Amino acid sequence: MSRGRGWIPWVGLVAVVVAVVVWAVWPSGDQTDAERVRNITHQLRCPDCESLSAGDSQTASARAIRRDVTQRVAEGQSAATIKRAYVDRYGESILLEPERDGIGLVVWGLPLLVLVGGGVGLFFAFRRWRNAAPVHATEADEELVREMRRGDGAS
Amino acid sequence: MRASLGVLALALGAVSALLGIVVLLLGLRRKDDRLLRVGLRYAFFVLGASAVAVVAMEWALITHDFSIRYVAENNARSTPLLFTITGLWAALEGSILLWGLILGVYLAWMAIHFRHRAADPMVAWAMVVAFVVTLFFFVLMLGPANPFERLPVTPTDGQGPNPLLQNHPLMAFHPPLLYLGYVGMTVPFSFAIAALITGRLGEGWLTETRRATLVAWGFLSVGIILGAWWSYEVLGWGGYWAWDPVENASLLPWLTATAFIHSVIVQERRGMLRVWNLSLVVATFCLTILGTFLTRSGVLNSVHSFSESPIGGWLLGFLAFVTIGSVILIAWRGDTLRAPGRIDSPVSREAAFLVNNLLFAALAVVVLLGTVYPLLAEALQDRQLSVGEPYFDRMTTPIGVALLFLMAVAPALPWRATSGDVLRRRLVVPAWFGVGVMVVAALFGVREIWTLVTFGLAAFAVGGIVRQVALGFRAQHVAGVSWWEVPWRTVRGSPRLYGGLVVHLGIVAIAVALASASAFTTKDEVRLRKGESTTVAGYTFTYTGREVSSTDQKRTVKAQVRIERGDRDLGTYAPAVSMFPGATSGIGTPSVKTGPLRDIYLTLISAPTDRDRVTIGIAINPMVVWIWIGGGLMAVGTAIALLPKSRRVVVPPAVGRDRPAGDGPPAGDGPEAPDGKDDRDVPVGVRA
Amino acid sequence: MKHPARWIATAVAVVLVALAVVFGTQIGNDPRADASRSQLAGKDAPKFTVKTLDGTTLTKADLAGKATIVNFWNTWCIPCREEAPDLQAFYAKHADDPDFQMIGIVRDDNKGAVEKWVKNRGDEWLIAMDPGGNAALAFGTRGQPETFAVSPDGLIVGYQFGPSSVADLDTLLAAARGGVGA
Repeated sequence: MSRGRGWIPWVGLVAVVVAVVVWAVWPSGDQTDAERVRNITHQLRCPDCESLSAGDSQTASARAIRRDVTQRVAEGQSAATIKRAYVDRYGESILLEPERDGIGLVVWGLPLLVLVGGGVGLFFAFRRWRNAAPVHATEADEELVREMRRGDGAS
Repeated sequence: MRASLGVLALALGAVSALLGIVVLLLGLRRKDDRLLRVGLRYAFFVLGASAVAVVAMEWALITHDFSIRYVAENNARSTPLLFTITGLWAALEGSILLWGLILGVYLAWMAIHFRHRAADPMVAWAMVVAFVVTLFFFVLMLGPANPFERLPVTPTDGQGPNPLLQNHPLMAFHPPLLYLGYVGMTVPFSFAIAALITGRLGEGWLTETRRATLVAWGFLSVGIILGAWWSYEVLGWGGYWAWDPVENASLLPWLTATAFIHSVIVQERRGMLRVWNLSLVVATFCLTILGTFLTRSGVLNSVHSFSESPIGGWLLGFLAFVTIGSVILIAWRGDTLRAPGRIDSPVSREAAFLVNNLLFAALAVVVLLGTVYPLLAEALQDRQLSVGEPYFDRMTTPIGVALLFLMAVAPALPWRATSGDVLRRRLVVPAWFGVGVMVVAALFGVREIWTLVTFGLAAFAVGGIVRQVALGFRAQHVAGVSWWEVPWRTVRGSPRLYGGLVVHLGIVAIAVALASASAFTTKDEVRLRKGESTTVAGYTFTYTGREVSSTDQKRTVKAQVRIERGDRDLGTYAPAVSMFPGATSGIGTPSVKTGPLRDIYLTLISAPTDRDRVTIGIAINPMVVWIWIGGGLMAVGTAIALLPKSRRVVVPPAVGRDRPAGDGPPAGDGPEAPDGKDDRDVPVGVRA
Repeated sequence: MKHPARWIATAVAVVLVALAVVFGTQIGNDPRADASRSQLAGKDAPKFTVKTLDGTTLTKADLAGKATIVNFWNTWCIPCREEAPDLQAFYAKHADDPDFQMIGIVRDDNKGAVEKWVKNRGDEWLIAMDPGGNAALAFGTRGQPETFAVSPDGLIVGYQFGPSSVADLDTLLAAARGGVGA
């Protein structure tokens, strides 16, 4: 087999993907004010709805928040300052993303732990399976499969 | 009289379920086949009783019998017929009634399907479990959630359904389909528990329930998508998914059920993952109950919590009973569940299924944690917190993208093990197609990294699907099937494979739509005088006037907005606000111009004033229609996967054109074609 | 115990039981009850600017020196309508008190409807429009009605989420008065 040449398209492919990704994440100047407003309002809960962000909702207070945030961003306030101003009025529950401290570590960390733990578990399982003597899938088993496939085909 | 009939029917249902349990247990104890056959038949009584109760409720709704509390609260004389009928699921008690009916249907299906095997302890135990679940819901209806409760004084008119629930015909479809999915999970659950009890933990119970699981999964998928659609067409904030507790509650069982229908294939072929599959089935069922508990007990706020009632404790008790019971059973059988097989290579189909399951499990953990986290924080630290879209987006996007990658690669992976060469040969064209799409998207100015990656992987997956289907078609054609017969024959040869690919295609459509939303959505809010125009994202919007209409049900104010692009008139759309009698504020109804690439979504933020000025919300939402199309594809794919497998497949070309022959693997590309075929092609007995 | 299934099952069971206990403690709680806490309690009243129905501008400075009840309301919300007779009775009791004032700030409603409402009912306290909802935002309101008690030196000393009865309003006023020099 042309083992050497089989790799060529893949090397090229990886190169192109890396190039596109680098281009996409390359910092391209500052965010516009509108983008900042969008980001901030999407992290604030609309106070008179249940689950929507102030950026999405159409209620009076959500619209008031959008105007207020727009004005604050225009004044040059940082995202952290604006969010703090809202926490001071409404409490932590105005933030749609829980803080990454205290019990907040659970909600951010546990899914990660599941993924990493599961991944590590799978890794060791595969290693064990590879090292284990192939008790269950012997050549006889393979033969059985082939045989039954043939048998199936003839039936 | 309608109320009495209803209560009588509910009592009959409860008694039938109880008798079913008693007779079946007796039959099991005495090993009396006759008793077991009789016990099975109580399923029909349950179905009959729940049908009578539903008819009694519908009758009461249609005749506006306001002496029944439920009717008085969810119906009014002015309610149109459609929403009178859908009133059955407009609130908690009626929803449980519908739940009972659907449970009755699934029970009857089980009784019919297994009528010749009534003497099998596995079937009997499964029926017992199903009857226990049924009994719980009927007792719920006879006790704390009685839909037929009478009012001391009959009001002259009712309050009508919640305005949001009488505003769109999708209300007629979304809840019943969702319930068909939710309740259907009872069937695999019953058999899983029966397998644990009888100790017959092989693949028997899986094959028995595969169809029921797939049916329930299909309904759940479509129900979720229709829910998103309803949300989009009715709630008027321009989106379709808010990560609201009710939405999450429907997504959770879907995630575990999806994991299950993938990992079950590994068990069928290799006899592995027995504990895991049982746990997934049990988890799916528990999550349906948990979802009902979270959204109906009032512990969580939700835009959907239209009613709250005292059933929280009951549901929690039942949930605890079910989970703890199942966990004990699994622990008890743990040793016999020991997986006999092994997976040879991390680069194989079964390994891909394992990773798929890990990712789905992680998704389920994210969604569950995010949903219950405010409760935990409050109980443990007395802190008021919210978890919303930013958290869910940040956590689910990478996992979703990883799943998309898997979806592109896994169908090309052979079972057991593969050489890098085979894989490279199979994937090179689809992968380059994906990269090509990614480059084109980048050239068109897409800079959002996740959007770019999703587009690329979506194209990669589509490339893989097209390649696989093309190979299947070619194999058929080479075998002598004429071209117009090829698609049908191919699909009938391996319905599960091709059904699965169609479902994957639907998922790709949805993924592309979701990824576009984060990159191209435009939102604006404009204030217009009559005759005034404004331009947003290249479209010109002109407010041409208002229109007021009034019925007994509601008073509607519409704002006519003409949309133009350049000189081309795209039509007039009329977002509206409706006032329902008794409702506090107006209910907005968006008006959506749907297109293949983008929707123009108009909402009336403030109704026309005396000086005829309106505030209109304009959102340009990209590709939304592909979510609904994706949902449709998922439904079609599920239906295809349910087709019975045709025994007549192709013959080698030399033999002749029309002669039917056996299931020989189609001549295709090496070992892939038979591997890709329906799993039943390969004997499950390998592990034995 | 060779197989990990038992260990995993036990772990899962422990987690589930813990979750069930947590949920169980929450069943009786009304999630909205939490809203009855205001973050502003004990803090300085926020800066705000509203316009009364006759066009006068009202700001934070106008709160100084008087025990003030600030009520957020509008004409379409049903709890506000339920609350209206109590507000009237309460105001009638204290209208002559020179150290007391009551301001009704309209949240999310149009001026025409408010004027009609006030005329029909004969409300005499200050009613102010809040175009853009900035005052409502500054006070951190989540809905309406919501009522704040502000002491003469400008501190928020009391808060009621949802409709207030005459007794609630009396308590709020007492707090506002007690806040003098506090």
